[in-house]
Amino acid sequence: MKIRLLVLWAAVGIPLLWGVMKTLENALKLFE
Amino acid sequence: MAASFFDRESTVAPPGYNRFLIPPAALAVHLSIGQAYAFSTFNLPLTKLIGLSQSAPDDWELTDVGWTFSIAIAILGLSAAVFGKWVERVGPRKSMFTSALCFGSGFIVSAIGIHYHAIFLLYLGYGVLGGCGLGIGYISPVSTLIKWFPDRPGMATGMAIMGFGGGALIAAPLSLMLMEHFRTATSRGVLETFVTMGVIYFLFMMIGVISVRVPSADWKPAGWTPKEKPKAMVTSANVSVGESWHTLQFWLLWVVLCMNVTAGIGVLSQASPMIQEIFNGRVTAAAAAGFVGLLSIFNMAGRFVWASTSDYLGRRNTYTVFFLLGILLYLTIPTLGYKGSEPLFVAAFVVIISMYGGGFATIPAYLRDMFGTMNVGAIHGRLLTAWAVAGVLGPVLVNYIRKFQIDHGVPKAQAYSVTMYIMCALLLIGLLCNLSMRPVKERHFFREPGSDK
Repeated sequence: MKIRLLVLWAAVGIPLLWGVMKTLENALKLFE
Repeated sequence: MAASFFDRESTVAPPGYNRFLIPPAALAVHLSIGQAYAFSTFNLPLTKLIGLSQSAPDDWELTDVGWTFSIAIAILGLSAAVFGKWVERVGPRKSMFTSALCFGSGFIVSAIGIHYHAIFLLYLGYGVLGGCGLGIGYISPVSTLIKWFPDRPGMATGMAIMGFGGGALIAAPLSLMLMEHFRTATSRGVLETFVTMGVIYFLFMMIGVISVRVPSADWKPAGWTPKEKPKAMVTSANVSVGESWHTLQFWLLWVVLCMNVTAGIGVLSQASPMIQEIFNGRVTAAAAAGFVGLLSIFNMAGRFVWASTSDYLGRRNTYTVFFLLGILLYLTIPTLGYKGSEPLFVAAFVVIISMYGGGFATIPAYLRDMFGTMNVGAIHGRLLTAWAVAGVLGPVLVNYIRKFQIDHGVPKAQAYSVTMYIMCALLLIGLLCNLSMRPVKERHFFREPGSDK
């Protein structure tokens, strides 16, 4: 059950984290 | 007859099932349909399908393409209202699967429309089919999450609805990357991107379809017992979806949501030109895009943070904070603009947008407090018509008032001040409706046939 929990959260968490990082990269231009 | 994989009976969780497996199932759906917020990345490429480097005379106009998103959002509101009862009846797995089919095939039909350069197929595909996927997908995990987390309904629905805000953060860079990858000397790569995204989103949503479970009827979180005397603004009874329309509370909440969304969505739709015009010459287009990105992150984060906070503050108090703080910030923004204080201006807007997202994410738990869990998904679906109205009202207010001001000689940098004061008035209406909220009268409660309770 714990592995399933980890896999499921990783499946949604990794793409979300990637999206947040990409957006933050752009957002930093506001402070340049 | 044996229950099929998609039937509600097949999704009842066995004893000891970890309830934290449910939020990622809901997120898989919401992160996918949240792509809608990033549809604008296709706007310009869709106007250059023939001309490639620039629009040819036969290419679609930007205004024609813009209708696709509007249709999708209108159908979202309609389908959530129409199919809400069905979603409650068939359960989350069948409804999530239907949503995945609609949303995925919406991309494929649109790709056919791009191939034949037939815009009605784009409207039918992404607009109508995709819009149904959006509406059904948006409401399908809500009541399931509320049932799994009776102790923290705000946090649970906040987590899922956060995905709808976060979906755009994934979809915007993903669509740009795919279009770049498929781009050739003779194609913008949009068709191939639509097909790829249709397949990716269908498969991603299937993660939710496969892993979602409903709790058994007598299930409760370990160690948790419902309070014998619930809070005054939290009902332990149920109101049916049909009856909810006849309560004052439904319409008060409709106005509360509509006003909160109108105030936020108008700003979101004009964020980039607004910051460039107010800080003329000091904010570049790239920096303005960064501002939009920052708003998206706070829109997403606000959904989780505010909805979770509402479990402690109470729903009515949380909305009171949204409206009072919103009024204060909107009143301050014109002054921040005149003084040229960029950091404070940005800070004010990220808080406003966090409350816009928070409003979306807190409303399912507010509905559950007022109407009980029985039909909360279906009632939520009907309440989303407020979103459809706000989606038109907000941008129209901001655009037309700005144009009216500029036409009457107001400098561009100051053209948004009146809009901000109108937003304050809308928030004040929302505040009054929220403060008028009282528990639903007993005569509206659902009674089992033959029961005198």
